Amino acid sequence: MSVTYTERGQGSALADFLSEKAQVLSIAFFFVVCVAFFSIATDVFLTPGNLLNVLRQAAPILVVAVAMTFVIITAGIDLSVGSQVALINASAALTLSFGVPWPLVVLAMLLLGAAIGLGQGWFVAYQGIPAFIVTLAGLSILRGAALYMTKGYSIPITDVPGFFVLGRGTLLGIPVPAIIALAVAAAGALVIGSQIYGRRVVAVGSNPEAARRVGMPAKWTIASVYMLTGIASAVAGLLIAARLGSGSSNAAVGFELQVIAAVVLGGTSLFGGRGSILGTILGTLTIAVIGNGLILMHISPFFTQIVTGAIILIAIWLNTRIFTAGFSFRRKPS
Amino acid sequence: MAASSALQAVDPEGPVPSGQPQVPRISLRGIRKTFGSIEALRGVDLDIAPGECVGLIGDNAAGKSTLTKIISGTYIADSGSIAIDGEPVSFTSPAEARARHIEMVFQDLSLCDHIDVMGNLFLGREETRWSFLNNASMRERARAMLDDLDIRIPKLTAKVAQLSGGQRQAIAIARAASFEPRVLIMDEPTSALAVAEVEAVLRLINRVKARGVSVILITHRLQDLFRVCDKIAVMYEGTKVAERAIGDTSLEDLVRLIVGKGEEI
Repeated sequence: MSVTYTERGQGSALADFLSEKAQVLSIAFFFVVCVAFFSIATDVFLTPGNLLNVLRQAAPILVVAVAMTFVIITAGIDLSVGSQVALINASAALTLSFGVPWPLVVLAMLLLGAAIGLGQGWFVAYQGIPAFIVTLAGLSILRGAALYMTKGYSIPITDVPGFFVLGRGTLLGIPVPAIIALAVAAAGALVIGSQIYGRRVVAVGSNPEAARRVGMPAKWTIASVYMLTGIASAVAGLLIAARLGSGSSNAAVGFELQVIAAVVLGGTSLFGGRGSILGTILGTLTIAVIGNGLILMHISPFFTQIVTGAIILIAIWLNTRIFTAGFSFRRKPS
Repeated sequence: MAASSALQAVDPEGPVPSGQPQVPRISLRGIRKTFGSIEALRGVDLDIAPGECVGLIGDNAAGKSTLTKIISGTYIADSGSIAIDGEPVSFTSPAEARARHIEMVFQDLSLCDHIDVMGNLFLGREETRWSFLNNASMRERARAMLDDLDIRIPKLTAKVAQLSGGQRQAIAIARAASFEPRVLIMDEPTSALAVAEVEAVLRLINRVKARGVSVILITHRLQDLFRVCDKIAVMYEGTKVAERAIGDTSLEDLVRLIVGKGEEI
């Protein structure tokens, strides 16, 4: 009697690709559906002017969402980004009103954002306090600081045309904020995908103890991602100040929820280890398109919030049902 | 024979079985470690010569894993001293132990599920060019590392989460063994491996021993010990109760020592 041995065939590369990229594909599909729907439902949506407007408005969310993707990949969360944006927004307007040159203000705000983020990161990484708690406290403290500084008033910014270019200018017809946001996203994708720092972020999110055991600077890596959201929030605060020409402690209320929704919609797992910048870009654009489209359809802005929330829930639900193979909202039992 | 073994058990400073008066590669003295109210280690002494393989055996919770984690810098001992090649060291992090070429295969494997096979093999020592991962070079070396150990993993870009338990264990072993270790600690390295892979690991141990690497092997497969080990250290309730040269012991003897009836027989 002869025994034959056969090798197991390699699985189809297409199936591997589909399960690997399930999240990104599903959010891409959902994005296309939204665009198609609003293109048919309204006359204005698919005009170049409106699309550029969507990009301009989505830019601050995208900048912070890219940094938030890093934080969520480490299995953390940063709830304080909206308050950080408000604090930077108000501080920028105040310092500009004192007559400080605007490039100096931009630099100072970026440093302030980095310092705030690093402070929160220190509590999370080196003191072991859950990120949820640290940044929830940050949300309250930083918003309070912004209110205290401005006494609740909106601070006008006047006569700094160079600064206004950041928010209102265009380059080759494309809004400057959109260019900045896409540059940040491209840099983020490069870092997470092919740089040593990105590998450390993924490793720390996937298995922190393993990262420590192989000698990676695990704690510093965790602290540093909060510095990234701090810097990104500073960029967003400056973009918003430059677009609106004023600084207000009431800027960016609810911003953190939009950012987190965009990241999660893009398929980044809240339990760490996996995430994609491309998904985050698509998630951000989807949220921006929904917000814009509903306004164009003359639906009450109060209703918009309900619809946005419901659509996020449904999109993620469909994602889990249709693409169960690749979607891991829970950690795999190990 | 029983008398001489008992003597050796109480006198760890005695001659190593190979009889060479050389400086031990690694030398532990009076290692103690407490977790809360539990005394995990109650003063353990152990010497391992270069190129020697020590089998560390004992019942569950005897302190085997804790001892090896102290050597690899994962835990810090409460008291006691460690010397490597005669030089006293005190590790405060796994990175410091790794810098001294002490490598460990952890029982939980310590792999990152979301990173591919190649990334896990090079975890913590990625090759970079201007801070970018040098994937081409790592891919080539990863393939060579796996071939060296007869590990069959078709796709280096597969995420580790997709692999079988045995394949995951094989990756953890390849990672520890492939970067010129001087001390190689293996905590239950073969528990999920198939026959051919166990053979490959035992061959690997004999090969690295020949290069002068000291090996600490924790295993419940006692028959494997007789294939690779030079001596056996038996742990019981946080102490080392016996140390036997491999030629002076037998399977039955080891079983008796593990279950704690060594003295009565």
